[in-house]
Amino acid sequence: MIGIYIYDTITREGMVRRLMGESSNRIATDRAPQSSISRRQYLASGTAVGVGAALGGCLGSDDGLTVGYALPFTGTYAMLGESIVNGFELYLEQSDGEIDGQEVETVKRDTEADTNRGVDVTRELMVEEQADAIVGPVSSSVAIAMMQTIENEASAIWLNANAGDYRVVEEGCLNYHFRTSFNDWQTSAPLAEWVYDNVADNVCLAYADYAFGQNSKNFFQKAFEEVGGEVVDEVGAPLGTDDYSTYLSDIESSGADAVFSFFAGSDAVNYISDFADYGLDAEMTQVGSGFLLSEDTLPAQGEAALGMYSLLHYTPTQETDRNQEFIGNYREAYDSSANVYACQGYDSAQAFAAAVAEAGSSDPDEMANALGGMELDSPRGSFWFNSETHEAIQNMYVREVVESDRDQPVENQVVETIDSVEGPNWGCNLE
Amino acid sequence: MVETFLRATLLGVQLGMTLALIAAGLTLIFGMLDVINFAHGALYMLGAYFGAVIAVNLGSFWLALVLAPLLVGLIGAAIEVLSLRPLYGRNPLYHILLTFGFAIMIQGAIVQIWGGQARRIAQPDLLTGTLSIGSLNYPIYRLFVLVVSTVLIAAVWLAIDRSNLGILMRASAHDTEMVDALGINVSKVFTSVFVFGAVLAGLAGVLLGASRSVNPGMGMGIIIEAFVIVVIGGLGSFRGAVYAGLLIGLVTAYGALIAPTLTDLFLFGLMAVVLMIKPNGLFGTTEAA
Repeated sequence: MIGIYIYDTITREGMVRRLMGESSNRIATDRAPQSSISRRQYLASGTAVGVGAALGGCLGSDDGLTVGYALPFTGTYAMLGESIVNGFELYLEQSDGEIDGQEVETVKRDTEADTNRGVDVTRELMVEEQADAIVGPVSSSVAIAMMQTIENEASAIWLNANAGDYRVVEEGCLNYHFRTSFNDWQTSAPLAEWVYDNVADNVCLAYADYAFGQNSKNFFQKAFEEVGGEVVDEVGAPLGTDDYSTYLSDIESSGADAVFSFFAGSDAVNYISDFADYGLDAEMTQVGSGFLLSEDTLPAQGEAALGMYSLLHYTPTQETDRNQEFIGNYREAYDSSANVYACQGYDSAQAFAAAVAEAGSSDPDEMANALGGMELDSPRGSFWFNSETHEAIQNMYVREVVESDRDQPVENQVVETIDSVEGPNWGCNLE
Repeated sequence: MVETFLRATLLGVQLGMTLALIAAGLTLIFGMLDVINFAHGALYMLGAYFGAVIAVNLGSFWLALVLAPLLVGLIGAAIEVLSLRPLYGRNPLYHILLTFGFAIMIQGAIVQIWGGQARRIAQPDLLTGTLSIGSLNYPIYRLFVLVVSTVLIAAVWLAIDRSNLGILMRASAHDTEMVDALGINVSKVFTSVFVFGAVLAGLAGVLLGASRSVNPGMGMGIIIEAFVIVVIGGLGSFRGAVYAGLLIGLVTAYGALIAPTLTDLFLFGLMAVVLMIKPNGLFGTTEAA
């Protein structure tokens, strides 16, 4: 997912990034050494002992496993990066820091949601840190920039814990790539038929005008027209729009009975609140991709979001035992509520553990072969990796925002489950 | 179509007046203290966060509207007295670096304390809902912001133009040594101006915090717009800040109507054109620049 809180102009983005980057590099270097120093110490001792240690390394018996986080820990996506790490480490904690009997070391590298940083970080993690798995990134543009490096180095599997752009599969189609999260088709197209059957046969489309928003809108439109629905108008607003008054005029004058929207982060907060401010919620039904009404935006959207529908692969209020257990453990460990990103981090750890156990080694090709088609028991409900595309084949949930008796005024409640959604394969066949 | 246009106009004027509140502080501080205050956006953001915290904990938007700007004023006072004061008369670069540092620190502190999630100040019940003017529906809260900002701007204008304090402020800016020699405590005047600017920014933070999201990036977002306004209006000119604020507000609103993706291009294009024709801004004097 791209674009939480990012500003619409290059200047602003640059300013924010430079600022956050400068202040945060210090934080990052405060944190990272714990792992990277021990690694360097290990290497140093290896050189000293010489051939023996080198042989030991080859045998891999006491080498341990290394996980590299290529995630944003500063800037606008910091919260997402932190949640993914929390989820991943919750799993590690539950398995005593070991996977398949081997010690797991984690290395954090801050991508700052910057495409260039993403490439450097990936190379560092793969070459210097000898990571066996790369977890990340958050932003799709970073993911697309990383593809080449992952393919060239060919030394780690890539657990994509959030970046949902379908082009990672269409253009990359990497054997090492596994989406432990979602793709932009999954969070939009499957909603079309449900909307047609339950809400309206005509919609207006509203979207944040950047790759992810455009993809979501296009996928929804195609699916909606295929089931016989009509798209009467579409309205694109630049990323980082503070005030949606003008766009809401266009949406209102489209005369549609429903509006399908893609906005995320603070854009979603502004858009939904303005929608209610102008009283449009009385005129048309709001439906959208899950990020429009997610756990990180609902506290700010509050009652303005009541009665709106969205589609996502995970909802923290899911009543299954597996999920309740996950939510409970997460709260115990971090004293906060698990969100979709934490679930994606947790499942990345599950995927890595399953890959190592099944392959019996940390060889990336063997791990990738082991993971294709593998099923994971996730808090979101079991899902498996499509063996052609390595996308997650998973349930998608239609949720309605309802009043809550928990610590927030409103929450999502699942109203319908769309089972095991399998998307297009974008011409990628890894089998 | 007419409604859309009317709505955009109302929005533009409202946005312009609120931006003018922020830019006014920025331009006054520059005009009087010769300080380019990069922390001004961070003070606006602090206003919004304080407002959000007060509104949640004390349950009153009105208390937030009064208390949050005062708290921001206190922080402004601390910044001016403890850090800026020793640097007056030195290379302006020191002020830029210092206030830029404050902007980063405040932003960092906000992320540490309140996290990166967007939030929003709840609008008071009295001001929720829409008002119908003919066939035009407009949210009452936005009309409220429009009225409050306009009244405040008018009051500040009068104060600077007519009151003794205003005359003193202008005199201090014009010739600090002379005013000092007349037995007036200039450093007190400077502190007042800085605090006054901070309070205005904090007020704008609370007002806008209930109609757009409150997040750690908002300070950096607004400072760019505020600088564009100050540059167009003329550095140090209050009148310039108000006119340029209105201009930018309207350009933003109409821009979204005509070509949303080009809005920023319009803003910076406008600034470029103004600078080409009047290098000191619309109301700038050569002296101020």
